[in-house]
Amino acid sequence: MSAYFAYFAKRLVQFVVVVFIGVNLAFAITHASPIDPVEQSIAAVTSFGSTAPEAIAAMRSSLQELYGLKGTLAEQYVTFWSRVLRGDFGPSLSAFPTPVSTLIGRALPWTAGLLIVSTLITWVLGNLLGGLAGYYQRNRTLKLMGVVAMGVHPIPYYIVALMLLIIFGFLWPVLPITGGSAMNLQQGWNWAFVSSVARHSILPALSLILIGLGSWFLGMRSLVSNIVTEDYVVYAETAGLDSRRVLGSYVMRNALAPQVTGLAMSLGGIFNGAVITEKVFGYPGVGTLLVDAVYAADYGLVLGVTTVSIIAVSVGVLVIDLLYPLIDPRVELR
Amino acid sequence: MRLGAWMLVASLLIPALPLSPSSAAAQGIPQNIPRKELLILENPEGTIKNAGWFNIWAINAGSQSNGLQQAALDTLWYIDPEKGLDGAWDNSLAAEKPVYNAEFTEMRVKLRRGLFWSDGVEFSSADVKATVDIQVKNPNMRFSAVLANNVASVEAPDAETVIFKLKKPNSRFHTNFTVRWGAIWILPKHVFDKVEDPAKFDFNKPVSLGAYTLHSFDPDGKWYIWQLRDDWQRSSLGRHGKPGPRYLAYIDPGPPDKRVIAQLNHELDVIHDIAPEGMFALAKQDKGTRAWFKGFPYGHPDPTLPAVIFNTQNEQLKNRDVRWALALMIDIKAVTMAAYRGAATISAIAVPPTGIHPEAYHKPMEAWLKDFEIDTGKSKVKPYDPTVGKQIADMLRPSMGDQIPSDPAVIGNSFGLGWWKTNVTAAGELLTRAGFRKQGNQWLTPDGKPFVVRLMVEGDLRPVMTRAGTMIVQQWKQAGIDARIDVAQGTLLTRRAAGDFDAFIGWSVETWGGHQDLSYFMDSWHSQFVAEPGKSQPLRNWQRWTHPELDKIIEDIRKIDFDDPKGVELGRDYVKLMTREMPIIPLMAYNVFTAMDQTYWKGYPTADDPYANPVTNWGNSRYMFVRLKPAN
Repeated sequence: MSAYFAYFAKRLVQFVVVVFIGVNLAFAITHASPIDPVEQSIAAVTSFGSTAPEAIAAMRSSLQELYGLKGTLAEQYVTFWSRVLRGDFGPSLSAFPTPVSTLIGRALPWTAGLLIVSTLITWVLGNLLGGLAGYYQRNRTLKLMGVVAMGVHPIPYYIVALMLLIIFGFLWPVLPITGGSAMNLQQGWNWAFVSSVARHSILPALSLILIGLGSWFLGMRSLVSNIVTEDYVVYAETAGLDSRRVLGSYVMRNALAPQVTGLAMSLGGIFNGAVITEKVFGYPGVGTLLVDAVYAADYGLVLGVTTVSIIAVSVGVLVIDLLYPLIDPRVELR
Repeated sequence: MRLGAWMLVASLLIPALPLSPSSAAAQGIPQNIPRKELLILENPEGTIKNAGWFNIWAINAGSQSNGLQQAALDTLWYIDPEKGLDGAWDNSLAAEKPVYNAEFTEMRVKLRRGLFWSDGVEFSSADVKATVDIQVKNPNMRFSAVLANNVASVEAPDAETVIFKLKKPNSRFHTNFTVRWGAIWILPKHVFDKVEDPAKFDFNKPVSLGAYTLHSFDPDGKWYIWQLRDDWQRSSLGRHGKPGPRYLAYIDPGPPDKRVIAQLNHELDVIHDIAPEGMFALAKQDKGTRAWFKGFPYGHPDPTLPAVIFNTQNEQLKNRDVRWALALMIDIKAVTMAAYRGAATISAIAVPPTGIHPEAYHKPMEAWLKDFEIDTGKSKVKPYDPTVGKQIADMLRPSMGDQIPSDPAVIGNSFGLGWWKTNVTAAGELLTRAGFRKQGNQWLTPDGKPFVVRLMVEGDLRPVMTRAGTMIVQQWKQAGIDARIDVAQGTLLTRRAAGDFDAFIGWSVETWGGHQDLSYFMDSWHSQFVAEPGKSQPLRNWQRWTHPELDKIIEDIRKIDFDDPKGVELGRDYVKLMTREMPIIPLMAYNVFTAMDQTYWKGYPTADDPYANPVTNWGNSRYMFVRLKPAN
């Protein structure tokens, strides 16, 4: 058990170091941005009317003060870390003075709902069908599925998304093509809203599933194809064990370990949002928030989203690392 | 097993799909609002992060084009970029035009009475005074600086009179309260009096002074619905008649492809703007879609003037001969084809060819332009070709057929009048006089280096202008310039302000459209505002160009009344100076492809009946509401 605690401590230190480096990198990259948020704001404000140049100069100075951009980089860095440790990312610059945490908090449920469900469906289906295809290699249907997966997998995501939009939004207009829910509905746990959210999530989820399915399917089929040639599987089959038991207890269980790691990282990654999905389908999630924040040079918001994302992915990997030795005896505690 | 696998897939995916198409239920139509009472418009600001903010007087506080400025707010005057319901100028909250004293240090405003806020409080001069006082007192508000710089004091001697005492003479002070697109909107004193920090007040739910009031909105910022006030007659729009739509929905329909799909499904009545190709697709596939022009070139020409804007602080581009040489290397026909597929309204002069300007500037100056001569040092050329607009129309006719007008007057309005003849020989002579020399097919600067011009474009954020820039770079390269495209993407605003470019495609000329006065952009071109190289440049003289003659024109305009006919004469002097000096190469109007679906509503403003600007984010588009009637 002491070996496990040493392993635990080592992984925890690694986690802290990774998060620290990641967040610092995010700070450095955002502050190296050539986009000036003050100029962005001035352009937005002055585009609505003629503003005298002296007024613009005064506004520039005022905005620098308001956005906290007058201090040195070192001062901004200290302020940033003191806020992060308190879980406060300060106000959004492009949606001033709304706190970044409020914006992330509003967008996250949409992203999480869409991505958790579609990731789990994709993972379960992909691994199940991939495992079957790897084990029953002569089955025609499963062979055909392999061909389809190979064919669909390399198609750029946005092509699939646009095809779905055209098919179900225009040629056979049965599904909503934009947004998270229908207009004029009260958000909350009422049937009208929940069913509307479900309908709006079908196309983005379907696009993610269609593309994601292929990689899980092919990965699992490949893993299983290797495992079925292992001595213990051949021995089990020769011994006359039921094929379903061989598949479930000996093949799939051993093949799943790397796939579980992949799942954990995918689930951690949902805090980035599915950027292209959300843009294509106008979905009100974290991905859209992040892209808009980058274009607006909204340092606070970019840092908020990336920090949450870095922590989430790192936590996902940490949890898997900590669980592995407990569930897989082949992992050595070194 | 085979069957089992398929059943598993089917059981997970198929129940999610509805069994029969039901467009209205499937797409984005608001629940429980009859379609015949609802006008659906695009909010070009997209999805709004600060959805619940309606305090337009705070910086970055939510959306403005979500119906807030079009349906709920109001101010003293409006100028439409087109002809207007009753002339381009509209006294809105004001009962008459502003009255200045002789020195332009005092502006007196007479207000309309009988107008009410949506909560039943009567609008009065106290609201106007509070709009000024609150923003001057709180320096971090949106119009604080402009008001603090101008206003010494504001008085409201009675409920319908406001007197502004100005810190310095300003004959255009009223333009701050004049909607061209937006303006300083009047805030409700009785609401803001109760607010501790007006810069951090969300103003949710907004109290409306317009004909509509907020019905509901999406906390995620995708849609806003406004409802006609029962007492709409007590708003300034009321005197023009009852607005047709009982409800307005301002939505984010997504990128251009989805806007087209939404309109083809009749779920988006007014598209703010799409790419030319999207407009052509709509015109072809949906006979109910109407654009500004009934046929080609469709788009509504905005009163802005896309141009090649030189950084005249760049050593090579300080010389007007060089700038003219670059202008003469351009074939505008190819540029309009690249940018708009030909659907553009060209302009040779530095005033957009829209609104009142063709009558005030373009047509009256044709004779002068035809006689205008350039001495290259080796020859004298008359560069103006008055037939270029017609040439573009003729070029398009074989492929577009009847859509291309044949009436010269209509061609002039749609495609523009003339432009500069491509003349590479004269361009070479001008460069030679400027000390440049040609080695092989490569122009070298006076100090023997390749003549490099980086033309900054915005990239896919503004594809039409990017395509124009790419074509111009290609033409310059063919003529021997080492021209390069410089894609700025999101950095454009920062780089433009800092002067970090040789040239870029954009606009520094932007006008009222419906009024001939040019101060909207020109006042900020005075040399007193031009920044040192590398320092941020105030709006809008991105070309950083100074000229004593320009300063004189600006100073003369400052001394005369907004409506003084002498303003047009000074405007024409400005056009002549700009033509001689060429600090920007004017290209064309910025065409906005606003598509209007006539399935549910009729009576949209068009080039045939130009009573308002139809572009959805303009405050002036409110005038459209009173002319719209249900189609059936």
